[in-house]
Amino acid sequence: MASEKSSNAKTSHKFQRSGFSYEQLIRFFFASNAGLTIVILTLIIAFLLKEGLGFFPGYRRDLETYRIAGLEFVDISRNNLTSHEQLTSLLNRAYYAEVNGKSARELKRTEEASALYNAFTDQVGPTRDLIINNPQARTDANAGMKAALLGNYEKQREKALLKPINTPHLTAKEREGLLESLRTRPPEATEDPPLVAALAQEFVAAQQKHAAPLQEFRTVIDDFESAGFDLGSIIMEMTESVTVTKEQLQTADILEKDRKTLLAAASGEKDPVERERLLADARAALADKPDVETPMEALLERKPECARLHEALKTASSDALKKIPSRLSDPDARRLLGAARKAWPQFIADLEAAPKKISAWKHTDPVPLSDAILSFLTGKKWVTGGEWQDFYGILPLAVGSLMIAMIALSISIPVSISAAIYVNHFAKPREQALVKPVIEFIQAIPSVVLGFVGILVFGTILREISVMDAFQWVPGFPIEERLNIFTAGCLLALMSIPTIFSLAEDALNNVPSAYAEASEALGASHVQTAFRVMIPASFSGILAAILLGFGRVIGETMVVLLVAGNRIKIPDFSEGLGAFFQPSHTLTGIIAQELGEVPLGSVHYRALFVVGIVLFAVVLGINATAHHFVNRAKK
Amino acid sequence: MNDHQEKPMESRTSATAVDIRNLSFNYGSTQALKNIGLNLKRNEVTAFIGPSGCGKSTLLRCINRMNDEIAGTRITQGEILIDDINIYDRSVDVVKLRRQVGMVFQKSNPFPSSIYDNVAYGLRMRGERDSAVLDQSVQESLESAALWDEVKDRLQESALGLSGGQQQRLCIARTIAVKPTIVLMDEPCSALDPIATAKVEDLIWKLKHDYTFIIVTHNMHQAARVSDKTAFFYMGELVEFSDTSRMFSNPSVKKTEEYITGRFG
Repeated sequence: MASEKSSNAKTSHKFQRSGFSYEQLIRFFFASNAGLTIVILTLIIAFLLKEGLGFFPGYRRDLETYRIAGLEFVDISRNNLTSHEQLTSLLNRAYYAEVNGKSARELKRTEEASALYNAFTDQVGPTRDLIINNPQARTDANAGMKAALLGNYEKQREKALLKPINTPHLTAKEREGLLESLRTRPPEATEDPPLVAALAQEFVAAQQKHAAPLQEFRTVIDDFESAGFDLGSIIMEMTESVTVTKEQLQTADILEKDRKTLLAAASGEKDPVERERLLADARAALADKPDVETPMEALLERKPECARLHEALKTASSDALKKIPSRLSDPDARRLLGAARKAWPQFIADLEAAPKKISAWKHTDPVPLSDAILSFLTGKKWVTGGEWQDFYGILPLAVGSLMIAMIALSISIPVSISAAIYVNHFAKPREQALVKPVIEFIQAIPSVVLGFVGILVFGTILREISVMDAFQWVPGFPIEERLNIFTAGCLLALMSIPTIFSLAEDALNNVPSAYAEASEALGASHVQTAFRVMIPASFSGILAAILLGFGRVIGETMVVLLVAGNRIKIPDFSEGLGAFFQPSHTLTGIIAQELGEVPLGSVHYRALFVVGIVLFAVVLGINATAHHFVNRAKK
Repeated sequence: MNDHQEKPMESRTSATAVDIRNLSFNYGSTQALKNIGLNLKRNEVTAFIGPSGCGKSTLLRCINRMNDEIAGTRITQGEILIDDINIYDRSVDVVKLRRQVGMVFQKSNPFPSSIYDNVAYGLRMRGERDSAVLDQSVQESLESAALWDEVKDRLQESALGLSGGQQQRLCIARTIAVKPTIVLMDEPCSALDPIATAKVEDLIWKLKHDYTFIIVTHNMHQAARVSDKTAFFYMGELVEFSDTSRMFSNPSVKKTEEYITGRFG
């Protein structure tokens, strides 16, 4: 059979194949390129998994150290102390809001007078400095120079008083007096004008006057604050001892790792002398097991004291709650006090639960791997590079990414879908020729450029709008941070509009024109045809467009890194929708920001890889779903 | 060649369904219709015949202004009157016009929804919400289109599951459900097999007492079978317009005879 074949190959016939042809070469080139992309994708996934999956055992060991060294024990008390500090701060803010709110008129008057005076000094300041700091001018030695400077000073003063700023809370007489005192003010005067000084005193007096009836409240706050001192100091003492233990444990871990590396190298070494040397090194690197038991015993002895202090704080807090005034007059103060009252029961409950927690805590409890995984997926803290303990909880990042995506999509979906419907179904050919390229052009803007437009223009405008009286009904206004979730969401909306628009427009274009024709021949209007025929027929495609837009928004890095504010904290939802005006960090942003700075192979480094894996999985999922819808649309 | 359109029309205006006067029509710079004059009577079936590109479909689409949707098209001269109203007047609402002048297309194009929804579409677009009225209309229309018995048990199934012939009859049912007075048909049977074609033709014959049909066809036999009057177009001009029986037995123009005997086209 084989010989027959070969003999066949030798004798050529008229359909003879001519060896390795040019065509085959091209074909092979194309095939290798297609194959290469698949190979690269596989390598990327393998690399991500290799670097990322080492994270969980490493993090587990971190958490174990956290427990064995007793840091976890200290944190039980510390969490309660932190809540206590937050409550104290809320009460203090409420107190000052109340006092300043009642002295609002005086505050405004002193502010306005000072503002007018400051504007004046800003204008004349440089000339004035020349006069009083110039020895020649002062000693009358150079009379001509002095006269010239004084003349200049007069001019600046005229200019400063030409258009003094408005002072609605000062009487006409007071204002005139102030202006007069500035007009006649000698350059060497250093004291404030009489009215400015008087108003400052008036304000202090008003503060004191209004503070007097609140004396009781002040005492309650002070008492409450000092009730936490004892707990604070015991935590401080414990902190010192556990930190030492933790450092010892970490050093031992590093030595142990070195030893293992050396042993591995020794077993692979063929030269007996060299092997012996490596083994000796490894023996030398054998760490003394650090003594964790002695400091732990000392720590555990404090259990009763800790519990007692918690009891005491609980009693003091319950008392304080009864004594804080039921009603304040200033709306800001009321809001702050309300927030404190709302947080109070949880605080008391935590204090009550603390002694039980303290007595139940054991440093010998094992830390299973599932704890590390759970702590990563549901952890509310992403703390890195701290002296105390690093936590890698993905929740603040995921929430930030999701909230930004929500803002972005809630803007870009309506805009881009209706633009797509308009362009596809209503626009004249000339409009189509204009609108389509313009929308698609947005994609050409580099995201870094869009980022600084966001910071410099959009963020600033947003903040200015947020302080306008007409917009105070918007939750979260006035905003505190110029860079926040909303700003980032708006910019990402702009970035996702071209994606969603193009794909939705394609989907609408793919609807057979016969459908629209049939609908219109049946006497349906353009709008009816759009809503009843075009959109239902292209629904899968539009949904896919939205999903791909979502994938783009979630995966975008540069804009969020520049504009989202980068605060790693779950936004405070107690303000409702105002939470969208708080800064936040994102899954993508954290990788871009931290990956360059972490030591290679550290737990932190691996944590970033796991974040990358999560991101990859989410975007893959979104794209797969979109793909599914596109396929369904094709059928 | 144009002597027929100069002939005074025998019918009185009240019997006229569509009156096309001196109509010229352009696709961009190409003149697709040249000075067409036609008077179509109520409750008659008129067939437009002629070789491809002769302008018969264009004229058909002018009657309910479907050409409006195509960029670069315009009427350069003349007018079309329906019930004595010039339908190209500025004051005409195209939506209302199309409710009176329905259209069935060459390729059956049911919406990708249920049979019921397809038939009820036109009425719903008109704001009809009463399900009893819709039910009745759907049944009547499907009965008129001789489709009711075949689909009455699966009204909620997708219309795309029907056979080609059924789909085309569904499109006819959908068109007559909105009760137009004139039904335009653009080669309605070109994609159908002979049996389905026969069913559609029967349908036209049966319905002609209630509607005025204008049908574009490439099939001479079909024109001969279903129509009362036939108009023959060639190169954008109306060559001959007369009773179908006369045209097929004794055409007055040589060109017509050549075409219907199959010597060109």
